[in-house]
Amino acid sequence: MRQPWLQDPATPPPRGTPDDFSPRSATSTAAGAALALAVALLLLAAGRAAEILDAAYGLPLLPGTETLIAAAEAWDAAMESLGVNGLVAAVRGLLSAGRG
Amino acid sequence: MLFPTGAFALFFAVVFGIHWLLVRRAPALVRPFLLLASLAFYAFWSLAFCAALLLVGLFAWAIGRRAGRSQGRGWLWLGVGGILGWLLYFKYTGFLLREATPLAVALGLPPLPAPEILLPVGISFYCFQAICYLVDVQRGDAEAERSPLNVLVYLTFFPHLAAGPIVRAAHFLPQVAAPPDRWRVPLAMAGLLILGGLFKKMVLANELATGIVDPVFRDPAAHGPADILLAAYGYTIQIWCDFSGYSDMAIGLAALLGFHFPKNFDQPFRALSLAEFWRRWHISLSGWLRDYLYKPLGGSHGGAARTAANLMLTMLLGGLWHGAAWTFIGWGLLHGAALVAERALGLRARPAGLAGRLVRWAVTFHLVVAGFVLFRARDLETVGAMAAGLLGAAMPEPAWTPRLLAFCMLGLALHFLPAELRQRGERLLAPLHPALLGLVFGLLLLAVLLAAPDGVAPFIYFQF
Repeated sequence: MRQPWLQDPATPPPRGTPDDFSPRSATSTAAGAALALAVALLLLAAGRAAEILDAAYGLPLLPGTETLIAAAEAWDAAMESLGVNGLVAAVRGLLSAGRG
Repeated sequence: MLFPTGAFALFFAVVFGIHWLLVRRAPALVRPFLLLASLAFYAFWSLAFCAALLLVGLFAWAIGRRAGRSQGRGWLWLGVGGILGWLLYFKYTGFLLREATPLAVALGLPPLPAPEILLPVGISFYCFQAICYLVDVQRGDAEAERSPLNVLVYLTFFPHLAAGPIVRAAHFLPQVAAPPDRWRVPLAMAGLLILGGLFKKMVLANELATGIVDPVFRDPAAHGPADILLAAYGYTIQIWCDFSGYSDMAIGLAALLGFHFPKNFDQPFRALSLAEFWRRWHISLSGWLRDYLYKPLGGSHGGAARTAANLMLTMLLGGLWHGAAWTFIGWGLLHGAALVAERALGLRARPAGLAGRLVRWAVTFHLVVAGFVLFRARDLETVGAMAAGLLGAAMPEPAWTPRLLAFCMLGLALHFLPAELRQRGERLLAPLHPALLGLVFGLLLLAVLLAAPDGVAPFIYFQF
């Protein structure tokens, strides 16, 4: 096994080879990582509702596309009613200040 | 499929879920699944590229089996020659035919054909890894794999398939052989790497590219000295942000699946010599060139002249690895000559005193910037036009903005932060509940995407 995080924390890291990971790297279970990934993706989906809707409108016409578009429209409408889209637009405007 | 896209996020979420489910319920299916997922990732570019990739993998596996059983080096040479021939055909046929045409015409022959050969994404990376497998097997550093599956997973593993890092067979194959540990996933560090990589690529690299670098390199004559100067510095920062950002994301994504890739960039622009720069820049390529080319050529064991020749040849081939163009040859030769000069002048040691270090840093950094101007330019005429524009008095409407200048300076400043800053961040985040960690990463990822310009530019190293 070459993954540093699987080694005993007392194992000294190899000398002279820089690495982001070490035997002392904090670890989580795969289930914990899945939960973190799901929460992060949910937040991204909330903040990118308009882009998701655009992508859905650009899908080729196949069975199921209509359902996907309807779901994307519903998601975007939900984010709009919660004020997420407005907040995202305001943050985007703030972060792009000074762009030529 | 590019990492910073919604399609990839969806793809990765599905792969992540199935992968860990298989680790728990059906470990024997982990490797076939990773191979299928990687081929699906690559198939987004082209199905034909997938077939080519599988062909190279099977060739390396078959030759590796023979090389592992043989005492001589015949099979190794056949394998390396075959893989290099494959790489040469795709990358250099057009260039060689174009350059040979004037000679053919001068000899009274008809102009040579100039075929447009489509370059498979990541070909240089997977070919180097295939060579790495054969050499590691021959040297006894890695076992010759009985089943092609492990070799194919090693070559195709999607986090590093398109642009590295180039992972050694001896490092990766033992990881493929045993299923990852589902109780220990380095979530916090992987998340920080992905977040940092995304910030460097989406915010810094993309904005510098669209704001100043692309317009100036496209038409240097239309820009004044300030724009040209910022474009030169800007490209240096852009290529670091782009490539190290990609590498960080690749390392983080692999870690989330339980696999370890070594670090690929280590604050390269804080180097005080070119030799140090190459220990910090694209570490997986410079290590490959050192171990599989420079040392077999004799390294520094054959006197000053032989060492200089080995250095020049290694850097020239390193330049050519990036592509078939005089600009890449010039870039390789510049670095080779600078490394030879450093060695001859005894400048490889760390200078004493702040002033000495500052001067040495400035010289090294500007050599690197000059090299990257060659690297980025379409041709040598563009380099000439930029040099002329730097000295010119023309003052067209400036393209640079304080925001672009600030991004450029931020990119440089990141090199002088404490090297262990990420580890400190990891210690801060590690105690958080995974749901809270997901919330923090989700908000920060969203902020990065909102700060980025519209669209996703392809990674620079995808073309190599």
